[in-house]
Amino acid sequence: MGAEEKDLRDFKLQPMKCELNFLSKSDGSAILSQGDTVALVSVNGPLDIKSTSQSIEKSTLEILFCSKGGKPSVADRYKENVIRQTCEKAVLGCLYPRTGITITIQELEDFGGFLSCALNCACLALLNSGVSLRHVFACVTCGVDEKGEVVLGGRGCDTQISCVFDSIDKTLITCFSEGTYSEGTYLEAVARCRAASELVFAFYRDVVSKYSNAI
Amino acid sequence: MKVTIDDVVLPGDFCEDIIKAGEKSRVILGPGLRKELEKIFITKAGVLRKRAPNTYWVDSYQKRYVPARGENVIGVVIQKAGDSFRVDVGGSCSATLSYLSFEGATKKNRPEVQVGDVIYAKMLVASKDMEPELVCVDSNGKKGRLGVLNDGFVFKCSINLVRKILNPSCPLLNSLKNEWPFELAAGMNGRIWIKANSMRETIAVGNAILGCEYLTSEEIKSMCTNIASILAGHVS
Repeated sequence: MGAEEKDLRDFKLQPMKCELNFLSKSDGSAILSQGDTVALVSVNGPLDIKSTSQSIEKSTLEILFCSKGGKPSVADRYKENVIRQTCEKAVLGCLYPRTGITITIQELEDFGGFLSCALNCACLALLNSGVSLRHVFACVTCGVDEKGEVVLGGRGCDTQISCVFDSIDKTLITCFSEGTYSEGTYLEAVARCRAASELVFAFYRDVVSKYSNAI
Repeated sequence: MKVTIDDVVLPGDFCEDIIKAGEKSRVILGPGLRKELEKIFITKAGVLRKRAPNTYWVDSYQKRYVPARGENVIGVVIQKAGDSFRVDVGGSCSATLSYLSFEGATKKNRPEVQVGDVIYAKMLVASKDMEPELVCVDSNGKKGRLGVLNDGFVFKCSINLVRKILNPSCPLLNSLKNEWPFELAAGMNGRIWIKANSMRETIAVGNAILGCEYLTSEEIKSMCTNIASILAGHVS
């Protein structure tokens, strides 16, 4: 549908490329590469699900994470959890009670920062599927280098902090990290990520404007 | 982010023009818009549109059908359940169709509908909390164009493609109908039924519809003449 490349070197974000509607059979899908890391996400729903997992108030989100090897692991469950909590905040589930929305994530290439790529890709797939959302969200990763300084992207750093922001007033909705860091470093990382999330939102708008001219 | 009419919008954007219009008169919020705490928020990605005097909606891309009242849809009968049929319309749950909601149907005189039949019907009830209900008559009890679709060919497509070909400004159907005769029923649930004199012509109509998804009006016209000349055998 829309292929897009954007050079985000000013902010030292990985260049992002994306294609929407990548899969023909699913209700919404997107493939996104951030640098060398590539994720493929498909969204199906709102669908009928078995009555034990139905909720009468809102739709049930189911996240399936497939790693490259195909073997499920505890780390994958953690990633599913992060993605589900973020998506539940964004999806207007109250419009689709007693239904289920399935989000399937396939890892294609992981050269660091895969979870943040998967989150951004999930957001694009949700946009493509036409499910009603409260807001879009963007995930940005920061690294902390040996001198204790915060760098955006932060490939290869031992300590990494990732933040997810909503698009309405850029509030922090999810944060996950690895390694040790001080409180000051954390606050600086959140501020840096918040500034860089603007770029991701601008990228989303670019992708949508590419294809909405044609429909 | 603040947006105005005809902008590309993302979920979470808000529009103050609609609030201002709402102070003077009633406004109608279509798909993709939602009022929350005195603000109008966008819930779908696409283009914000307005039709005078006061209707607003978002043109978005969608494949999965969410039932809406008053829309004409194409469904497949999957079950006969007592005094109603269950019809699959592609939504999250199947719709019911009472056997009395056909033209001239009475308790004695049941309509002839079999499991597997394709039905063109109107959504009478469609709310998020209840299962949708279909009818095959209008409010005068006449069937109009609704009812069982015999023969022909049904295929699925995206919902905005149906909206596009039904748009009066889209030249596709006008160009095609001059080339060869065919019947067509477009359901707002992303299913299209077509029937032409031969298999070749049916496939040509189907391909023409599917091919116009990302084309402009000019490109659609040239594609139609192209397909017609292939069909007539001028080009192999």
